[in-house]
Amino acid sequence: MTDSPNDAIVVEKLTKRYGDLHAVNDVSFTVKKGEVFAFVGPNGAGKTTTVEIIDTIRTPTSGRVRVLGMDVAKRKRDIVPRIGVLPQGFASFDRITVSESIRYYSSLFGCKHTDVDALMDLTNLKHKRDVQFKKLSGGLKERLGIAIALVNDPELVFLDEPTTGLDPHARRAVWDVLLGLKSKGKTVFLTTHYMEEAELLADTVTIISNGKIVAIGSPDELIERNANYMCLTLKSADENVLQAIRNLKFEPVKDIHHNIKVRVEHTDDVQAILAAIKNAGIALPGVDVRKPNLEEVFLSLTGDQLREGAPSHGAAQ
Amino acid sequence: MTARIIAANLKVKLRSFSREKSTMFFAIAFPVILVLVFGAIFTKPEHMNFDLPVQDLDQSAASAQLVKSLAVDGVFRTILVPSDANPVLYARVHKLNLLLVIPHDFEEIQKSRIKKRDRDASIALTYVYDPSSTSVTTKLQFLNAIVAATNQKMSGTAPFITLTEQSILNKKYRFIEFFVPGIIAMAVMTSSLSGALNMNAELRQKGILRKLATTPITRIDWLLSNILYQLVLAIISTTSILLVSYVVFAVRLQINFWLPAYIVLAVFVFVGFGMMLTPFAKEAESAAAAANAFLFPMMFLSGTFFPVEMMPGFLQKFARVLPLYYVNEGLRASMIFNDNMAAARNAAITGGIAAAVFAAGALITRWDSVA
Repeated sequence: MTDSPNDAIVVEKLTKRYGDLHAVNDVSFTVKKGEVFAFVGPNGAGKTTTVEIIDTIRTPTSGRVRVLGMDVAKRKRDIVPRIGVLPQGFASFDRITVSESIRYYSSLFGCKHTDVDALMDLTNLKHKRDVQFKKLSGGLKERLGIAIALVNDPELVFLDEPTTGLDPHARRAVWDVLLGLKSKGKTVFLTTHYMEEAELLADTVTIISNGKIVAIGSPDELIERNANYMCLTLKSADENVLQAIRNLKFEPVKDIHHNIKVRVEHTDDVQAILAAIKNAGIALPGVDVRKPNLEEVFLSLTGDQLREGAPSHGAAQ
Repeated sequence: MTARIIAANLKVKLRSFSREKSTMFFAIAFPVILVLVFGAIFTKPEHMNFDLPVQDLDQSAASAQLVKSLAVDGVFRTILVPSDANPVLYARVHKLNLLLVIPHDFEEIQKSRIKKRDRDASIALTYVYDPSSTSVTTKLQFLNAIVAATNQKMSGTAPFITLTEQSILNKKYRFIEFFVPGIIAMAVMTSSLSGALNMNAELRQKGILRKLATTPITRIDWLLSNILYQLVLAIISTTSILLVSYVVFAVRLQINFWLPAYIVLAVFVFVGFGMMLTPFAKEAESAAAAANAFLFPMMFLSGTFFPVEMMPGFLQKFARVLPLYYVNEGLRASMIFNDNMAAARNAAITGGIAAAVFAAGALITRWDSVA
C-alpha cells in the first residue's frame, strides 16, 4: 500500500505482544498531515505502547508503521529529527532550569537557531525561565515538556497523556498550547483518556480498548454513528415520576445530583414521558434533552469505564 | 558519535552536579574528610604515647629511678597510683587497661644482683591488665621492649645481636602516604560506580531516558558523556584529596604519568560495573543497595585502608580478584615506591578488566531497556 502525500502516519496491522499479552492487537489507522489526532482509551488499553512504537522507542512484534513516509523499523535516524515527543509522565533533570532544559534538548537536535523565548511564550513559561525543573508544578512540567518537544520545529508532535493528573486550570492551560500548535498547522498525535479533551481538540478520534481499535472518526461522526439515542434529564427525584416512566417501559436511573435520566430513541418518546408525568399531576422544575457526548459513546461502545474515579454522567442504561 | 551531543550532556550533568549539594559532598568532601580523620589518627605513630599508671610499693630510690626510666623515651607518661590501693580494684574503678606494680623489695633485690653479684637474684613486676582492650597489646610490646633494654643495660655487656635497618625505598613513608592512594582509588570507584548506576536508575525511573530515546542521542554518545562526566568528577576529587594531603600532612608522593592513567582506567572499570548492575536496579532505591553491596566488600577487602597482608590468607586470595586491589597496588607502586614495573603490571591488569567490564556494560545498556 502506497502512502498518500497527505499522510503523516500510516499504521498497518500493528501488533505488540508481551508474552501471552496482546498489548496492541492488529491495529490499523492513518493520521493526516495537519490534523489533531486523538488516540483515546482507558488505562492499559494500549495507547502508550502504540505511540511508543510510532515514535520509535519500541519495536513492534508485527505489522508496519510509516511516519512521514518512512518505515520506523528502518529509518529511525531520519524520523527522529522530524518529530517531537512528549512522553507520558514527562520529566527533565531536577536541577536544570526551564530555559537550560530547552537549550539542552535543542543542542541534542543540533538546532542552532531554536528561539527559546518563542517556545517559552507559546507555552506561557517565560516567567519561569530560571526555575529549576524540580520546583515546577505538574502543569508547568507538562508545558515545559511540550516546549521541549518543539525545539526541533517538528512536523509531527506526539503528546502522550499531557494532561493526566493536572487540575482543571492547568489542563486548560495545556489545551491552549495544543490549540496554538493546531493553529500553526502542526500534526498532533494526542493520547488521552479524557474524552472531553479529545472532543474539544481533535479532528479525528480513535477509540482503543484492550489493544483493539473500536471506532475511528471525527467527534461528531462518532456520536452520530454510534449514538442513535438521546439523553432526557428530568430535574426531579420523585418516586412517582420514576414509576410513571417505568409504566411506559423505559428504564430511568437516578444520578448523584437527584436527577432522573432516561435514554430515549425518538422525540415522540420524550413527549410521551412528559405527558405521562403531567397526567400524574407532578410538576417538573426542569427538563433537558441532548445528544450523548463522546464519553457516553465510548461507554456504549466498550462497556468500559474510561478511567478510575471518573464521574458517572448518569447516562441512560 | 557526535561531539556536540556529548558536550551538551556533559554540560548538563556538570550543572546538575554543581547544584546538588549531597553529590558534591560525596564526591569531594567525603574523601577529604576521610583523609583528614585517618591522617590525624595515623600520621605520626612514632610519637605515639600512652599513660602508664605505676604503683610503687617499694618507695625507694631504685624504684623511683625505674619509674623515671619507663618514661625516658616518651612512649609512656607514668602516673603514680597510691601504694595502699588494691591494684586490681583500682584498675577496675579507674577503667585502666594496664597498671604496673613495683614490689616492696625491688631495691633490695637490685642490690643483691648488682653489688653482691648474685646472678640468681631477679624480680617480677606484676602488670594488671584488661585483656579485652585493643590498645593494651601495643602498650605491652613497648613495656617488654623497655624491660629488655633495662636488663641488657644491667648485664653490663654490649648486646651480641643488634638490628640495623636498610630500606628498599629511597625514603621512609608514613601511613598517610600509604593511605592517600587508597583513598583516591576508593573515591574514583565510589563516584564512578554509584554515579553510573544511580544516574541510570534515577533517569529511567523518572522517564528521562525515555525522552532521550526520542532524540538523536545514541548509546555511544550517552556512554561517552557518562565517562567524561565521571572522569571530571574523579579529577576534582583526586585534586581535592591531594591538595589536603599536601597542605595538611605534607605528604611526599610521586605524581607522574601513572596517576592520570590509573584514574582513567578506574573510571572505565567502575562505570562499566555500574552499567552492568543497572538492569538489576529498577529503581533509585534498589540502585543504592546494589551499589553498596558491591562497594563495601571492595572498599574493605582490597587494601584501601590497610595492607592486604594484614588479612587472613583466604581473604588475601579473595582480594586478588577485586579490581580495586590492582588500582590500589598500582597507585601505591607509582606514588610511593616509584616502581614503574609494578605500576605497569597492575595497569595492564586493570586495563584488561576495564576493557572487559566496559564492553559488557556497553552491550547491556540499551535504550529500550533503560527506557
